[in-house]
Amino acid sequence: MIRVGIPRALLYYQYYPAWKTFFEELGAEVVVSPPTSQAAVTSGSSRVVADTCLPVKVFLGHILSLVDKVDYIFVPAVRSVKSQVYNCAKFLGLPDMTSAVIPEAPPILDVDIDVNRGKRELYQSIYRLGRHFTWSPLKVRRAGLAAWQSHQNYRELMSSHGLTPPQAIERITGTSPVEPGVSLAEPDSVLGTIALVGHPYLLYDEHITHRLLNRLKQAHYRIVTPEMLAAAELDSGIARIAGKAYWTYEEEVVGAAGHYLQTSVDGIIGIMAFGCGPDSVMMDMVRREAIRKADTSFMSLTLEEHTAEAGLITRLEAFLDMILRKKRSGAAVCV
Amino acid sequence: MGNLYIPFKALFQRLNMDFVMPPCNNRHTLSLGVKHSPEGLCIPFKLTLGNLIEAAELGADTLLMPAGNGICRLGYYAKVQERILHDIGYNTNIVQVGVSERKLFGILEIIKRLSNDAPWIKIIPAFRFGLAKLNALDRVEKLVQRVRAVEDIKGTANKLYSEAVKAIDLADDHKSLKRVERDYIGQLNQVSRNDAQPLVVGISGEFYVLLEPFSSLDVETELGKLGVEIRRNTFISEWTKFSWFLNPLGMNEKERIHRAALPYLKRDVGGDGWETVGEKVLHAHEYDGIVHLAPFTCMPEIVAQNIMPSTRESIPMLTILCDEQLGKAGFLTRLEAFVDLLYRKRKLTGKNN
Repeated sequence: MIRVGIPRALLYYQYYPAWKTFFEELGAEVVVSPPTSQAAVTSGSSRVVADTCLPVKVFLGHILSLVDKVDYIFVPAVRSVKSQVYNCAKFLGLPDMTSAVIPEAPPILDVDIDVNRGKRELYQSIYRLGRHFTWSPLKVRRAGLAAWQSHQNYRELMSSHGLTPPQAIERITGTSPVEPGVSLAEPDSVLGTIALVGHPYLLYDEHITHRLLNRLKQAHYRIVTPEMLAAAELDSGIARIAGKAYWTYEEEVVGAAGHYLQTSVDGIIGIMAFGCGPDSVMMDMVRREAIRKADTSFMSLTLEEHTAEAGLITRLEAFLDMILRKKRSGAAVCV
Repeated sequence: MGNLYIPFKALFQRLNMDFVMPPCNNRHTLSLGVKHSPEGLCIPFKLTLGNLIEAAELGADTLLMPAGNGICRLGYYAKVQERILHDIGYNTNIVQVGVSERKLFGILEIIKRLSNDAPWIKIIPAFRFGLAKLNALDRVEKLVQRVRAVEDIKGTANKLYSEAVKAIDLADDHKSLKRVERDYIGQLNQVSRNDAQPLVVGISGEFYVLLEPFSSLDVETELGKLGVEIRRNTFISEWTKFSWFLNPLGMNEKERIHRAALPYLKRDVGGDGWETVGEKVLHAHEYDGIVHLAPFTCMPEIVAQNIMPSTRESIPMLTILCDEQLGKAGFLTRLEAFVDLLYRKRKLTGKNN
């Protein structure tokens, strides 16, 4: 049986159930890399130039952990999933970058996803991907449709049940949790609600965020995340802050922040990676909007491989203290 | 950006428009830009923001800024900058010039709107005159890049160049423009030269830092001082020629570069990343070395930078990341070391140009 490796990084959190279904329908076995470890971060960072962003370094670390274990590695180049809205350059260059910096990697399955080139091109590129496994276009079509269905189920599961991507993936695949998953269920006594905005590959990677979600929960805060919002809410959030969406996956940052700034959360924490192109612009737009509204506290955390746990905890504690004090006095603050 | 202000100035003057030109990039522009920019943005954003603020200080109410849809962040800059300008208290309106999708007619329409509906019969000649100045400037610059390397008295070419830029700026019709250009090209050709075989170094990378000497600490002049001849394929006049006139006709100058990059980078990654990889592959046997300029945090160039070391075509390469922290002393040391390496390599391989 052909084994296809999928790195547990970047778009894994958005599309894993769909990818898994697709490859399994085509008769392949799917192997996922283990959760991010320090070793993965270090090995990934050692392959690329220093100013590459942390998520890409982590991604490459995951690939390195899959080398020798699989026959193919799946690295899609997602250019655009919405008309006239494009993705960051690093996502596009991902397959080429991977084969350039990890020459020992098994053959890379890449697929161009660009909805601007029309349905035909899109279907053809999916078919080209399926050709590695079968000659029958019908089989590829069936696998593609099944993948689409499982993607819909996955999104539905997250928005209706308020699950995080790792939890939803566990429920779908029926695997036991590989990491001590964070339940976003209500803590015993709630001091307030914090909205986390940022890309899922940062928010749910416990190693990168130094278990931020757990820490918030232990501090008795309820957490809301972008995945818990419906598409329409995200779109109106984008419209409020940025007008028209410019980058793919921007709804996770701008859309969610725009929505939560309107609702009654106590604070918003924006999480971005150092060197992230789109976020460096968008997080600033969010910050400006937060300053203007001035009734929801906002903090942005920039993460990189040198981010120290102690510093992160200090900032988090200060932010939560500020929220508590603000609640007591009723004043508005923004950092 | 570079000498781009000269053609625009000519265009606006001819249309009798009321305009202000912010000063050329300087330390003050940069610190203004840095002060008001999000930290993670690239130097083109910071410098253009500085320019816009300086223009607004001089009383401009409408600012021109390129924009568009694309992968590079540039397309979004105008929007963010407008927001920043509002936040610091300038009520200016930014006209977004869609550089990638609007092509020639889009640009002409914007000019028409800005010039209070001047008749086309005035706009077209003014536009052509602007283009003529642009072409003249680039032709002189190309020659300067060669003369710098071999001139006997260092600095002669640069002095002539800055005089030429001034003279081209002042020329007020096609005839005097031609005369000025011919005059300076003649003078540059007569600069006394030594007979050394200069090293040939290609300059590739991101558009803005390539064309704005201030952002790269004038890397071309510094290399010229070290006796290096510069080859650069990016010029605004070339870009205009192709993207406004020839691309719509189906001619694409970049196809050759893209094809060269294909084995290593299969798709466009926005900005100039694809071209950077392609130029390395294409010119690996032609140049002695390549200096790769990229703004710090530039996404497409990071992709290019990661891919380039793995190409089969190998050539010494120096990447210089440009941002407000780039210090002259360290920069010069790196250039000197790079040039020494190229000389030694030439000596060892016995290759003479």
